Order: sequence, then C-alpha cells, then structure tokens
Amino acid sequence: MQNLIAFFTKNFHWLLFLFLELVCVVLLFRYNSYQGSVWVSSANAVVGKVYEWQSSVGQFFSLEERARQLTDENIALQQQLSHVRQELLDLKGDSALADSMMQDVIGELHLLPAKVVSNSLRRPDNLLTIDRGRADGVLPDMGVVSGTGLVGVVYMAGEHYSVVMPLLNVHSRVSCAIRNHGYFGYMSWDGSSAIDAFMEDVPRHAQFDTGEWVETSGYSDIFPPGITIGQITAIGNSADGLSYRLRVKLNTDFSTLREVSIITDDTFPERLQLLKAARDSMAVAN
Amino acid sequence: MTIDIIRRLFVCIIVCLLQVLVFDRIWLFDVATPLMVVYFIIALPRGYPRWGALLWSFFLGLAVDMFRNTPGVTAASLTIIGMVQPYLIELFLPRDAEPDIKSSARSLGVWHFLCLAAILVIIFCLVFFALETFTFAAWLYALECAGASALLTLALIMAFETVRK
Repeated sequence: MQNLIAFFTKNFHWLLFLFLELVCVVLLFRYNSYQGSVWVSSANAVVGKVYEWQSSVGQFFSLEERARQLTDENIALQQQLSHVRQELLDLKGDSALADSMMQDVIGELHLLPAKVVSNSLRRPDNLLTIDRGRADGVLPDMGVVSGTGLVGVVYMAGEHYSVVMPLLNVHSRVSCAIRNHGYFGYMSWDGSSAIDAFMEDVPRHAQFDTGEWVETSGYSDIFPPGITIGQITAIGNSADGLSYRLRVKLNTDFSTLREVSIITDDTFPERLQLLKAARDSMAVAN
Repeated sequence: MTIDIIRRLFVCIIVCLLQVLVFDRIWLFDVATPLMVVYFIIALPRGYPRWGALLWSFFLGLAVDMFRNTPGVTAASLTIIGMVQPYLIELFLPRDAEPDIKSSARSLGVWHFLCLAAILVIIFCLVFFALETFTFAAWLYALECAGASALLTLALIMAFETVRK
C-alpha cells in the first residue's frame, strides 16, 4: 500500500498531465458536436466584454468609413424601395393597398440590431461573436443578416453574447436560389477565399448566366426568401458531374463587418420545439 | 510563494490578452501567426513544481481557447509543453547551474536558450495546427502553417529576450 502511495506521489505530475489532456480531448470533441458549451466560448460574459472593449476602440477609429458605407447603403435601399413601390403600384393600381402590402411584408420580420465584437476570417471554422444573447431573445438557429446581405446563423447563445456561424465556415449550409429564376441549391464554403463561396446542387437544366444574383430561397425557417447573398462569377461542375457548382462573390464584406441584425420571431421557440419533437420522434421510430 | 503566484497570474493575463487581441490579428503570407502564449511556459524557471507548470499551461491555454472559440486546442498543446519543459531545460543548463535558474537567454546563454525555445515552439506549433485542422483535410497546409508560425514565434521570443532583464 505504501509503495502504491509512494508511486502515485512520485508520478503525480504524470497523472495530472493525463487528466488535463483528457479534459482537453473531451472539450475538443464536445466542440465538434453541434452546440458545445457556451462557457468555453466567446459567448461567455467575460470574453464577450473584453472583445466588446476592443471592438469599440476599433469602431471609434473607423467611424468616418462606417458613416460613408451606411450612407451608400441607405441610398441603394431608397432606390430599391422606390423601384419596388412603383412596381407594386403598377400591379395593384392602388397606392394605399401597395403600402399596406409592403408594411405586412416588413412587419413579419423582427430585426434585432447587434454589434460584431469579434470576427475571424482565416480559419476553416470561422465564427463571430455578437453582443446579443438569450436575455435579448436570441436563440440558436436564428438567422443573422447585415445591410449588404446574409451573414450566417446563430450557433450558440450565451446570456448576453452569442456566437454566429457565418457563411465563411466549412460547416455552414444555407438554402439559396438564383434570383428571378427560382433554381435552388445550397451555399457552402471551401475554406479558401474570404470573398467567395459556392452554390452547390444547381440542376443541370437550369438556365442562368454569370453576374446574376443569388439570394435566400426561403425553404427553411431561418431566413425569409429574397435576402441577397452574392453574385455568380463562375460556373463549374460538381464533383460527381450531376449538377452545377457556382462560384459566388459574396455581397457581405466579412472583414469589415460591424453592424448586423438577428432575425427574431415570436413563434421561433415554438417552431424550434416542434422541430425538435419531430426529430426525436423520428429518432425513436428508427 | 503567494506573491509569485499573483505576479505570474498578472503576467498570464497580460500574455493571454496580448495573444488574442494583438498576435492573433497577425497572419503573414496566409500561413504564419505568432503563438506567443508558449513563451510563458518556456520562461518558467528550473525546479518549478511540475504540477504547477501543468496547471498554468492548461488554464492559460483554456483562456486563449475561450477567446478563439477552439476549446481544447491551445490547452492540449500547451499542456504538453508544460510537461516537456522541465525535462528539456535540464539538457541546456550551464555548468554549476543554480537549482532555480531562470529560463532566459541571459542565464542559459543565447545558443542554449535558442535551442530550448526552438524545440518547444516546434512541438507546440505542430500539435496546435494538427489539432486545429483535425477535421480539415489539408495536412500539407497545416505543416506549412506550423513551420512558418514556429519561425515567427521564435523570432519574436528572441526579440523579447533582448529586452528582458
């Protein structure tokens, strides 16, 4: 017995080493499973706060540039709005009805503004941290957009901060479609360029050209249809040759991303619970 | 002892913040990033309790991981360095070295310290990038990143050593 105790005392550091490495391996594998621990991520309060301070310093020095960008976005949106208003008016011939229809569409979307406090671009598993969490009604799987288009999906939600999986993450999959044509596929990223992503699974019979826009398809609960993703720059074939694989230049510049909005919806928790229940029942059936 | 722990804790926080707020922003030629957290473990003196070195390396690694959203990656690689450092420093000691000699270029000699730091930094970078690209099939790229980052980290460590007391 004494020998055993002496052995453990002598080799205590080895046992501690093995224990700590075991903890690391558990963390590594937990992280790989969807929705790992909020505590060991930038969604926790201390890390989020530090990133927020750093971000506010950075923002202060880029205020002028941001103001110019926002003005540009505003002008572009105003032009789009007047164009849509005119089209609606031409279709319906009644300005009051056209206005109320637009209000209905906008009213369905609840956008919660948030600031990006940390962002990475160079890893295959890029994630960004925003300054909104469960306390603000943010839940995992909610969509995140910016003034220029789609950003990503909430991956983990802490109390006051959340981690978002952007399009620039090799695990990201977002259902999308080619604007005005309706052919749909999904967006993925190959881990190389931070300005390009790929639209996969586009049917071979689809008719389109480079320069056309790709937007969200609406075939998911996360994003409504019509949110801009980017512009087609090259057309290629998928690895199996059965579909097209399109290179898409992303409309959102992730390197300068500061302000984003989370698409929240009062019915989201209910829908999420329903989806979870359906998945569980399918798992039981299998 | 308590003062030493408080002093080390303070340095640990500074190193962690410098890594995540400054060094992580540096990404040269798409391959090299300085991983200066390893410097904190390299600089632990001879005779420092081994369990202490392990705990420092684990918690420093975990803190960095929290910021980088890579739980386990830095902690695992830094804990290995915490385990190896006390054994490796014995190989590079000058004659009649004190039992608690500092691990620095001044006390060990520039060449000896450079060898010690190089071995530890290379091990750290190899493990770090291997774990980071664990689910990503780009081993050659990971190797390039490890080599370039090790070189950059070592250059910065030697630059810091010239101003360290």
